[in-house]
Amino acid sequence: MMVPEFTLSLFQPAIYTGLIAGFIALLGISFQKNDLSALIITDIVGIAMLVIVAAVGTDLAEALILPGLVVELAEIMAISEILISREMRILGEVPVVEPRPMELEVFRTAPNFLALILIAYGVFLTGFTGGAVAGAGILFYVATRRARGLPTVEWDGIAGISGVTWCLWLAGFLIFFTAPQLWLPALFMSGCGILIKVASKMGLIGVLAREEIREAGGDE
Amino acid sequence: MDIASLGGELLGQIPFGDIVLYLTPFNLFMFAAVLIFTFLIAISRTETQVETEFGTLGNRRVEVDTAEFRIRRFLAIVCGLATAGAMVTGDLFNFTLFVALIGIVNIGIVSAVRQVEVLDAAFQYGLIAMMASLPLFGGAALVLGSSGTLSLLELSGMAGNPMIVFAALLLLMGVVGETGVAPFYATKAEMFRTPGSPFILIIHLSSLLVIVRAIEVLLIVSL
Repeated sequence: MMVPEFTLSLFQPAIYTGLIAGFIALLGISFQKNDLSALIITDIVGIAMLVIVAAVGTDLAEALILPGLVVELAEIMAISEILISREMRILGEVPVVEPRPMELEVFRTAPNFLALILIAYGVFLTGFTGGAVAGAGILFYVATRRARGLPTVEWDGIAGISGVTWCLWLAGFLIFFTAPQLWLPALFMSGCGILIKVASKMGLIGVLAREEIREAGGDE
Repeated sequence: MDIASLGGELLGQIPFGDIVLYLTPFNLFMFAAVLIFTFLIAISRTETQVETEFGTLGNRRVEVDTAEFRIRRFLAIVCGLATAGAMVTGDLFNFTLFVALIGIVNIGIVSAVRQVEVLDAAFQYGLIAMMASLPLFGGAALVLGSSGTLSLLELSGMAGNPMIVFAALLLLMGVVGETGVAPFYATKAEMFRTPGSPFILIIHLSSLLVIVRAIEVLLIVSL
């Protein structure tokens, strides 16, 4: 067996922990009458599910946690979307709140510095993690610029860059399989490809949200 | 339990590394049926409900606008494909993922409606579906933990033990909650009141077919 003895001994306690945590969360939901609180407590059930999956403790379990987490996130996003749309239908027309620009000194100095450090560190890391770090830097920069009421640069083309670099990543992986002796260029292609892809996607989150708000008639 | 005694003669295997698809007449029939239904739903147009106004002689048409119609049709096709995948998959965890996808898509199909009661029902259904993900994935993880494999083909050759039976019960609870059949059907019946048939019908169809397949999977795993 590949699994160490210590991990095996943790299997049953972890299963019990997961089941008990899930049961406590269900009790909490049954006592709770507020919809939003019920939704938040339901998230605990999802995390208890991850505990049980993780209890298996093999490489395969690691590969199963990721889809489990994605499913859980997708469900909580879908349900909160339903909750928001229901509240919007109940409220009907609400007056649009004008965003008021905030002018704080820290908004002028911190974003440049932090974004630079995060992007530099992200490029140094490369790969998926690096992309997430660099993307967080870009997102932080854009968010603070918008909070000051300044226009942000045009982002229309960035989805295209994201797609092209994703192809770079795929091509890198194909080279791994077809020509293993070229592993170094393949590694760089896939590592840098996924870096730029994830970074530009993270940057897009804020932009996409803005587009959606504008389409709905709010903001600007 | 033996696969051949449940689904008929084993017609062949498609090995994708760890995940081995197996083909039996039962799986293939269900797969083809779901695809035909999905195709019919994809080419059909949405219904228009006529509501009688209270206190007058007038009627009111409840129509679905184009944007909503297109989103619903897309989600209904995704739901059909996920059901088809759940019919034919040979891997226990893939089965649970397909079932979870059906649950998410079901919420999505009714998410854009205007009726507050329907949104309320969809919210309750979503909460149940999310709670059901604990026994669903937990059951699959317990099967993996106690038998060392997720392949239905290999699980069919193993004799069940109490741990696997417990896992199968959890899995059943998960499938029941995720597809919203009895005892959780109340919210789903409420969801059906929205205009938008036949896209709403895929919600019903997917849960019926998934339950049939889930029973086959549970028998394979636990006996």
